[in-house]
Amino acid sequence: MLKDSMIILKKELRRIFTDRRLLFMLVVLPLIMLPLMYSFMGRANRSRQSDIAQYRSRVAVLVPHDSQRAAAPILEGLEAMNAALMFIDESELDSTMARVTGKELELIIVFPDAMDGNGSTISWDLAAYHNSTADYSEFALEQFTALLSLLNDSLVRQRITEQGLSPEILSAITVNASKDPGTVDLAGEGSLMGKIIGMMVPFFIVIYLFANAMKVGLDSVAGEKERGTLGVLLVNQVGRLSIVLGKMMSVMTAAIVGAVSSAIGLKIASRYLIDLVSEGGEAIADYTMTTMDFMQFGVLVIPLAILISSIVLLVSTFAKNVKEGQGIVMPVYLLIMVMGMTTMQSGDIAPHWMRLTPVFNTLAALKDIFMKTAVWGDILFATGTSLFLSAILISVTLRMFNDERILFRV
Amino acid sequence: MLRVEKLTKVFTRGRGGSSTVAVNNLSFHCSPGEVYGLLGPNGAGKTTTLRCLSTLIKPTSGNVWIDDCNVLEHGQIFRSKIGFLTSDMKLDGYFTPDYMLSWFGQLNKMEDREIQRRKAKLFNDLQMEDFIHRRIDDLSTGMKQKTAVAISLVHDPEVIIFDEPTNGLDVITSKSVTDFLSACAQEGKTVIVSTHIMTIAEKLCHRFGILVRGEFKEEGTLGQILNKGSGRTLEEVFFSHILPREVSNA
Repeated sequence: MLKDSMIILKKELRRIFTDRRLLFMLVVLPLIMLPLMYSFMGRANRSRQSDIAQYRSRVAVLVPHDSQRAAAPILEGLEAMNAALMFIDESELDSTMARVTGKELELIIVFPDAMDGNGSTISWDLAAYHNSTADYSEFALEQFTALLSLLNDSLVRQRITEQGLSPEILSAITVNASKDPGTVDLAGEGSLMGKIIGMMVPFFIVIYLFANAMKVGLDSVAGEKERGTLGVLLVNQVGRLSIVLGKMMSVMTAAIVGAVSSAIGLKIASRYLIDLVSEGGEAIADYTMTTMDFMQFGVLVIPLAILISSIVLLVSTFAKNVKEGQGIVMPVYLLIMVMGMTTMQSGDIAPHWMRLTPVFNTLAALKDIFMKTAVWGDILFATGTSLFLSAILISVTLRMFNDERILFRV
Repeated sequence: MLRVEKLTKVFTRGRGGSSTVAVNNLSFHCSPGEVYGLLGPNGAGKTTTLRCLSTLIKPTSGNVWIDDCNVLEHGQIFRSKIGFLTSDMKLDGYFTPDYMLSWFGQLNKMEDREIQRRKAKLFNDLQMEDFIHRRIDDLSTGMKQKTAVAISLVHDPEVIIFDEPTNGLDVITSKSVTDFLSACAQEGKTVIVSTHIMTIAEKLCHRFGILVRGEFKEEGTLGQILNKGSGRTLEEVFFSHILPREVSNA
């Protein structure tokens, strides 16, 4: 039986790995997709940051006569931030607000009346009108808020001193104020990167496992039905279980090739990814995996590939043609994507239900491997559920292969 | 010898849906060295009958035997004894005839040396040498049909079952396929073909079954059929059994 499956596998693999277009989609695309994507996103992000930093914000300022002295240090601070100030009076406020809405100006700052002469007792409330849909406006507001925070701190200290008190009373309890930040984070070496990788890799692995399984798997049976080539195979001396297993192995191989390719792509993309996720901190390039990590990775990914291939092959066997198969498999693909994203966002403590759910538990265990917290019990349970579910799906597919109403429906 | 015993095939649409009797209580046999012609208009049940014979679909009742082996109980052994070809089965166009023959030889559990020997014979008999290394997608209809014939016979089956083997072929290729089938019968093979081309049937077949709406209207040698007086030629007998509605449909 296995010999027959291997004969079928050999032909399917020959078909996959000698067809340049298919090879490009299965191997090259997952490899270059992530570096291209992250390179583009990194460039776009850097370019945006650089544009914003160099931009001279246009800020309209309304300062009443009796507040000019108190406003002076704030206005100086704004000029020091390279803001172009434009003074307006009360009557121009509405038209200036419309200019902010129209993105002609970034910010309007309205000082309250009678700030002068009340410096030591009154709390002033300035108004800052901005446009949350304009990046430059948001950046100007951010800079202005930071400036006010500094001035506020300085004014409060000045007021306290004028009252004959020590500014030290402002801080009753602090955390790590006297410590070097590098000495208080006791995370193991490389574990921050492990967490980042653990968030990204399982998601991309499951996506490419499924994407490649779909590319090959839907054509494998539904495509053969559509082209009329399946019948030729069925009238030969090969058992239907051998056909199912042979085709499943080929789909699985394509899926694993895609996943490995995307993992290599992610490694290449790491230098761009680092710009996006940690602003040039720890390098993913320094992150290492042990032989045990690789072994655990294989123990998890191969059964996951078998499960995904079984799902796709079942759909392919049921569908009349590739188009119908795509329609049926798409909701499953979306569900798997949601599972990947949920795992990505679940932090380092996977909820209990996630550990019990097929696919989810594999993704959670994969994450554990990258974070160096994997437990063999979780890994074997995830592997067991994947294989158990695969066995059920293969058995259903086999029943379909023996059902002429499904196999020859047109 | 191939024996078809009370073969019936009913197709049912969905659960509790309408049923169509495609083949009804059909019995016939074909001996080694003989070519049996299954004749009938479109929708008569020829393809369904041959699909049951090939194990692609299961009979609703009845059975098909090749010596002591039957289609219901010994599907895989039965398949080793037959070579089946039908016009709605296509070949994977990505590969070459040479590769496909080798691959099907392996699937049929043949030794490499045996595969090479069979390939050489089939390529020679079907005059395929010129295109065995070209992709099937790039071949003409006739070349593809010759390839399909060769693949269906790579394992040297005792029984050859061909559904409309000359469909869509030009006269030259059509003649080479029918000559090849005659030669197979002369070698002692049991050959069953379905066709609606009477000239080919008369020339190729030793015995005939005229099938209309899933049932035999005539069955026997040409002499036996003509002696019943339904017509002076096979074609006349054939048309005498077809209702006007079916003639117009055809």
